[in-house]
Amino acid sequence: MSLLREAERCIANQKSHVALNAFIASLQPSGQWWERVKDAELRTKQGTPISKVDGRLIAIKDNICTRDLPTTCASGTLEAFVSPFNSTVVGQLEDAGAVVAGKTNLDEFGMGSHSVYSRFGPVRNFWQGRDCEPLSAGGSSGGSAVAVATGQCYAALGTDTGGSVRLPAAYTGTIGFKPSYGLISRWGVVAYANSLDTVGILGASTASIRDVFDVVNQHDPRDPTNLSPLSRSRILSYLQSPSCASRLTSTPLRIGVPTEYNISELHPTVRRAWSRTLAYLQQQGHSIHAISLPTTKLALPAYYVLAPAEASSNLAKYDGVRYGTRHKDIGSDERPRGYLYSYTRGHGFGSEVKRRIVLGAFSLSAHAKDNYFIQAQRVRRLVQRDFDCVFHMKQPLISPGADIEKAPENTGVDILICPTAPSPPPPISDLIDSGSGASPLDAYMNDVFTVPASLAGLPAMSVPVPINGEKKGSNEAGLVGIQIIGQYGDDQLVLKVGELLEDRNMSLLLNIDTLS
Amino acid sequence: MLRLGLRQSTRAAARSLPASQCHRSYSSRPSTLTKAPRSVRWLQTSASESQDRVPLRKQLKQNAKALKAEKRQRRESEEASRQKWELTVGIEIHAQLNTEHKLFSRAPTSSTDLPNSNVALFDLAFPGSQPEFQAPTLLPALRAAIALNCDIQPVSRFDRKHYFYQDQPAGYQITQYYEPFARNGHVDLFSYDGIAPEDGDHVRIGIKQVQLEQDTAKSQEYPPSTQLLDFNRVSHPLVEIITMPQIHTPATAAACVRKIQSILQSCSAVTTGMELGGLRADVNVSIRQRGDTESAHEYGGIGGLGQRTEIKNLSSFKAVEDAIIAEKNRQIAVLESGGVVEGETRGWTIGSTETRKLRGKEGEVDYRYMPDPDIPPLLIGADLVSELTNTLPTSSDKLIGLLMGKDYGLSIEDAKPLVELEDGARLEYYQDVVDILRDLQQDQDPKSRGGLARVAGNWVLHELGGLLTKADLPWDAERVSAQSLAQIIDHVQRKRITGPTAKQVLAMVFEGDTRAIPQLLDEENLLLRPLSREEYIALAETAISQNPQMVEQIRSKNQLGKLGWFVGQMMRMGEKGRVEAPKADAILRELILGPSGP
Repeated sequence: MSLLREAERCIANQKSHVALNAFIASLQPSGQWWERVKDAELRTKQGTPISKVDGRLIAIKDNICTRDLPTTCASGTLEAFVSPFNSTVVGQLEDAGAVVAGKTNLDEFGMGSHSVYSRFGPVRNFWQGRDCEPLSAGGSSGGSAVAVATGQCYAALGTDTGGSVRLPAAYTGTIGFKPSYGLISRWGVVAYANSLDTVGILGASTASIRDVFDVVNQHDPRDPTNLSPLSRSRILSYLQSPSCASRLTSTPLRIGVPTEYNISELHPTVRRAWSRTLAYLQQQGHSIHAISLPTTKLALPAYYVLAPAEASSNLAKYDGVRYGTRHKDIGSDERPRGYLYSYTRGHGFGSEVKRRIVLGAFSLSAHAKDNYFIQAQRVRRLVQRDFDCVFHMKQPLISPGADIEKAPENTGVDILICPTAPSPPPPISDLIDSGSGASPLDAYMNDVFTVPASLAGLPAMSVPVPINGEKKGSNEAGLVGIQIIGQYGDDQLVLKVGELLEDRNMSLLLNIDTLS
Repeated sequence: MLRLGLRQSTRAAARSLPASQCHRSYSSRPSTLTKAPRSVRWLQTSASESQDRVPLRKQLKQNAKALKAEKRQRRESEEASRQKWELTVGIEIHAQLNTEHKLFSRAPTSSTDLPNSNVALFDLAFPGSQPEFQAPTLLPALRAAIALNCDIQPVSRFDRKHYFYQDQPAGYQITQYYEPFARNGHVDLFSYDGIAPEDGDHVRIGIKQVQLEQDTAKSQEYPPSTQLLDFNRVSHPLVEIITMPQIHTPATAAACVRKIQSILQSCSAVTTGMELGGLRADVNVSIRQRGDTESAHEYGGIGGLGQRTEIKNLSSFKAVEDAIIAEKNRQIAVLESGGVVEGETRGWTIGSTETRKLRGKEGEVDYRYMPDPDIPPLLIGADLVSELTNTLPTSSDKLIGLLMGKDYGLSIEDAKPLVELEDGARLEYYQDVVDILRDLQQDQDPKSRGGLARVAGNWVLHELGGLLTKADLPWDAERVSAQSLAQIIDHVQRKRITGPTAKQVLAMVFEGDTRAIPQLLDEENLLLRPLSREEYIALAETAISQNPQMVEQIRSKNQLGKLGWFVGQMMRMGEKGRVEAPKADAILRELILGPSGP
């Protein structure tokens, strides 16, 4: 299919799926994009495309700054905000010939697991539950995931702080990749929790994700947390050492299965998908090893202390003074102690954002800090240690002297395979209806398997493992995401294992097709 | 500076005496005029009027007397309370660093430009912007910390200090709370720095830490509802210098701030001082009874102290001293009346006599310090520290010690201004003069050469300085070159010119005479030209022939004292400035008493 035809189809899909609310700002049928895609098509025909994404439509999560479209973060405070600058990732993609397909809906500032906390209304999943019940699209990059799932773009950028790319990927049957922390520039990515925020990529295939990743995986001096060229080349040369380079080429993989992830709350469908995936990999000649990540249970509470703490700090800037939407009531006479920013913040932020700001402000306060913030930082270290102990490959950024009880050579694993979420996507009604008795804490539970890799900064990817066939023809695809977690810097291996599972999905689908 | 301020204020008070009142006391009493027995006493008032109308002079006298008594009483009571109560002060100084760029962006630091013209995205906390630490800002900060004798930390980190205010765009200030870049320094204060007499000749005040941080924006209030914000200053790099609570007198606290400012200026760590707002001080003040070590509070690792209060934003040395005095007296009054000092933040207005409460403990801001997750730790190499240490200008204390040592032998009155004037330019000039002069005087005996440095000091500071002051001109080392001044002094030392001639020559060069000194002396005929023996004899004989009786008296009665009179006669008769007294005396003795006379 020509690039132009593909782009036109994406635009058409944006129109036909407008009810899913995947986009906050989408492309107009006639616009600059058409010229740009046409130019790219010409280049491709001449055999001189700028990159593999030349002329492709890439959707951008609306917490990533774009100069040409508003950047709202789905928040009332930035309702009409247009950033004066492009984020590095958007600049890199445009330089590579890609076209921004629009800005996708999300949970406000990335805080949420179902993309329902948006100023612009909740994102709807394309897939439906029993009796056509609307399902959660996952969050917070739900808009990006739905846009990919319904062909509204070639691929999409999301952000993943505690699972915000992987969870919606699992819930929408797409692939969601969160690279190692520090590989993709965060310049122009609106901060939620800086030490965890990672730009991630959503796509329908591993190949499309790789196309985008190759463009944005570059050093950016404007992001102080971005990996330096020196560190990048050091990691690369380590990965080229024989013991690392031989994996999947001449030696089979050692696959780790974290026993702590086999929790009692695990949905049977998810457990079935997990074990089938492992069986398949074993069948391919790889070995399966039960490993232990003892700090797993503490990871979720630690995450929900650290991320809100950083959020409370990062969101202090939205006071309506220099930009953003300022509330028209400023310090009326009735409340002499009311400050300019209190109305703006009180009205501009949604309930979940306010909840996390208050939570974070508390855990950083003088009396609570030692018990919460400092303690959670210690847990974060332990989570990192857990991973370093089970991987065969060493954490390349840790200095050699660091005290890590390394697993013996023969027991270290190359990759971890586990579920992305404990259950298939829940119905939206369970999340929004106050009568259902669901508390915000229930939503936090969805992140239990994605948060540990975020705390350790590891590369992780969610791939769909459809285990249905049971109910053909319905939208109710048994949507389960299986997560691949690699050691820090081992992003290429994660992508390769993703391809491996993708092959399996293809063959499964083919089998189903031949059966029917 | 401090003394000057006091003098100005009394002068201002005198000037503000209502003139109309003075006038009335002279003119509105015609009756006294007629009653006055003598015209000179016409100003005196009658006894009946003296009750409500005291003559001005008397009134002024009485006022002065009362003021003096009041001062004495205050001194006495202050001394009594000083005996009983011990004051403890710690200081936090914020100083704007001399840097080209802001701390975390490439925006220029110039604050005199149009408002809001020097701001980068990060300075305004735009969503998605990130800090870019400007490594060169570290250089003046390091120079400051090294000059304050601190240990430079190989690893330091940046933290966020949270509070909402419109002059703080991010909602937090980036500072170094947990791990500052410099610790454990000290500043030495000597009596010449103006410390309190009870502190003796020297005190050493510890520096707890020095940290890098951001300045805030400038906000201007236009009541009732307008606030203007200028973000040019936002994120200007600052150092915060925290002293140990080791200061026990208000004067020494002021001296400490003054000394730290001059140290920062001498190593060009800062550009402007307190007078231009480049430096601000907060002081912590606590009081305890002398001998009491049981008090519960500990600050900076020093225990047994009383509850402290903090006085924020003091913008002059005088304000530091006055605010501490006022706060000390307030705390003593609270304690003596059986009360308890509350830990609170207080403010000071220039010219007031009392500190005022800004916020109490319950209103205290919880800054929720958090390590900044976007800024990597600051790693400072030992090589950089040693390079900066080696290239740091010599400290003023060392220079003063050197000038007062045996090599130069200057008094403190001369050494201090030489070091302080024109940022060391005067000292440099002085050293050039001394070097050239010592070179010129190599043939002289060591004893007379020993005093050269002191003589040069006098010429550089007082003679040349006097001309500058009189002409109201700024310092210019080229106006009278070091070479010229050294040559002038050399000629005086060699008695080739007299002192008054030397001053005349200096003035000529100062006014723009470009001739070389020897040429100038020669052409203006200023050199001392010795008379020949024949000329001396001729002069002596003239004097003798005019006063034969006196010659006889000397010869017969041996009245040698009268020889001096003849010397005077010769000097008067001879060409001005040419007759040298010892030579004239010798010739007279020869002629009057004979060649082999006694």
